[in-house]
Amino acid sequence: MPLLYPLLLSSALFGIGLYGVLARRNAVLMLLGVELMLNAVNLNLVAFDAWFADQLHTGQVLTLFTIAIAAAEIGLGLAIVLALFRALRTVDVDGVGR
Amino acid sequence: MRSVLRSHWLYVALTAVLALVAAIWAVPHLSEPGWFAYAPDPTGFTPPLPTLSPDLFLFPASAQIVLLAVGVGLLVQIYSTAYLGHHQRYRSYAMVIVLFLVAMIAVVGTTNLWVLLVGWEVMGLCSYLLIGHEWETGEARAGAAKAFLVTRIADLGLVLAILVIGETYGTYDLLGAQPLDGEAKNATAIGLLVLVAVVGKSAQFPLHSWLPDAMPGPTPITALIHAATMVAAGVYLAARMLPFYADSTVALTAMAVIAGITMLMGALFALVQTDLKRALAWSTVSQLALMFAAVAASDPEAGLDHLVAHGVFKALLFLGCGCLMHAVGTSALSAMGGMRRPMPVTFWTMTIGFAALAGIVPTAGFFTKDSVLHALESATEGDGALAGGTAWALFVVALITSLVTAAYATRLWLKTLLGPAPGGLDAHEAPLAMTGPLVVLAVATFAVSIGQPFHHGIGVVSTVIAAAGIGLVLLMWRRGSSLDWAPAPLAAELGLDRPFSRWVPRLTGDVASAVVDLDRDAVDVYPRGGAAAAALGTRGLALVQSRNVQRYATVLAAGVVVLVVVGVVVS
Repeated sequence: MPLLYPLLLSSALFGIGLYGVLARRNAVLMLLGVELMLNAVNLNLVAFDAWFADQLHTGQVLTLFTIAIAAAEIGLGLAIVLALFRALRTVDVDGVGR
Repeated sequence: MRSVLRSHWLYVALTAVLALVAAIWAVPHLSEPGWFAYAPDPTGFTPPLPTLSPDLFLFPASAQIVLLAVGVGLLVQIYSTAYLGHHQRYRSYAMVIVLFLVAMIAVVGTTNLWVLLVGWEVMGLCSYLLIGHEWETGEARAGAAKAFLVTRIADLGLVLAILVIGETYGTYDLLGAQPLDGEAKNATAIGLLVLVAVVGKSAQFPLHSWLPDAMPGPTPITALIHAATMVAAGVYLAARMLPFYADSTVALTAMAVIAGITMLMGALFALVQTDLKRALAWSTVSQLALMFAAVAASDPEAGLDHLVAHGVFKALLFLGCGCLMHAVGTSALSAMGGMRRPMPVTFWTMTIGFAALAGIVPTAGFFTKDSVLHALESATEGDGALAGGTAWALFVVALITSLVTAAYATRLWLKTLLGPAPGGLDAHEAPLAMTGPLVVLAVATFAVSIGQPFHHGIGVVSTVIAAAGIGLVLLMWRRGSSLDWAPAPLAAELGLDRPFSRWVPRLTGDVASAVVDLDRDAVDVYPRGGAAAAALGTRGLALVQSRNVQRYATVLAAGVVVLVVVGVVVS
């Protein structure tokens, strides 16, 4: 399989994630956008790992590492969103700033 | 000590000491031969640097003027003790008179042009202070300001004339700069600048209106300004500077034209006035023009002789006018009349003064006017720088002026001193301190004529003309005319003051508003534009700083994309 396909897919995912972070006002959907961007990077790591046929598989190791961090990050993020919702009855980021 | 300072006679004594010193200095010069003693500086053209060394120098004519100034000044000072002695500002008044005299002596007695200028300016200041002495009234303030501002124009002319003389002759000393043997240089420029100076100072057309408007000043001051100082300085300067521009036909013709216009205009205005003081003021304007005519006809000696004679009889008339005002309380002609019995001294002395003004033998006014007319007649031959035709016109105008002068002198004499006394008037003779100076001046009116030249032909002609003027007015008086004829344009003084009272203020206002507009529309554009640009930039920057984190992040992401694209394209 050529390298191009996973790269295209990861670029698309990153773009969608970036759009979600920049354009969405809903905090949960912004977190989803962040996740998409993280996973696009993960896909890149795995694809290059396979392409270079690395004996130590540093790409896959780093991917696992990223997944762990992402799990922690989303846990923390969702906890903040939950606290926000409990305090303000809204998860709209524009409404929070005011 | 305080009582001494309060005493009026302290100031009289001060003036007397000044007069004595000036007399001791001036009298020996009266008989010195030669008029403008030429003493050219042999060192020649050194770079002119303004100096203020006194450089005193007198010749017979200037010695006469010094004596006239201190004499009239002393009499005015004595007169003022009675006339104005109780005024709360008498002391400053008396001191300014002394300063005035010192300034006049400086102008007449120095050969240093810069000292002359200082004296000239100090005289302008003193006349401003004295005309505005009773500054509680708006008229006095306005008259003083007008006198000051109009004579400023004259000062400008004098400054420029001095600078041109310095550039041309390499010295600021009158004796060193005297041109030799018709080698006058820049004659027209110097002549015209001197003309500007003397026209303003001596109230000639078109800068004549400040002198009649200075009438709210105290009457002794009017006598001083009209006779001994201020306006006399203008005539003196024109005569003194004559060697610089005697070759210049342009300058002399301009002076002749101005003198011709002014002498007739002043005499006609004097004829129709309803106020004695103002009539006498116009008379001064007219008589000064006669002196300028003599200077223009290249006979400055005749002009200065007439200056001295006129100074004596005009001081007499103004001081007499002060006595009448003292008795009547106003200077309006309608309030006067029938003064022979209640005020004999004033009556007889003023009669002598009016006779001198009209030019009747044997008063000084006759002889000196005779000399002036003779000078004008000599100039009609066209030998000098003045063209014969111009001289003829000037001569004829001077003869007409003599007629009008005799007429208005007679009219004023009849209206103020004779005629029926206005009802309810309780006139009484002025105190000795006021009548004394009158008697002295009346004697001087005859004394000055001693030794004056007499020209038969002109003398007869001018006597006939004066007699005609007097006879005409007397005839009308006999027929019951009130002598209050005044054609509207003459009564309004031909509207000649309009340029100063209307146009100059309006023009100044227009220029000022134009400057304001220019400042607002042209100069202020830059600061205003800068402010607007800054505001616009601020608003743009404020748009970027939206407090919206997502927008910041968008900009950040866009920046990254741009950097990446640029990096890819460049590499």
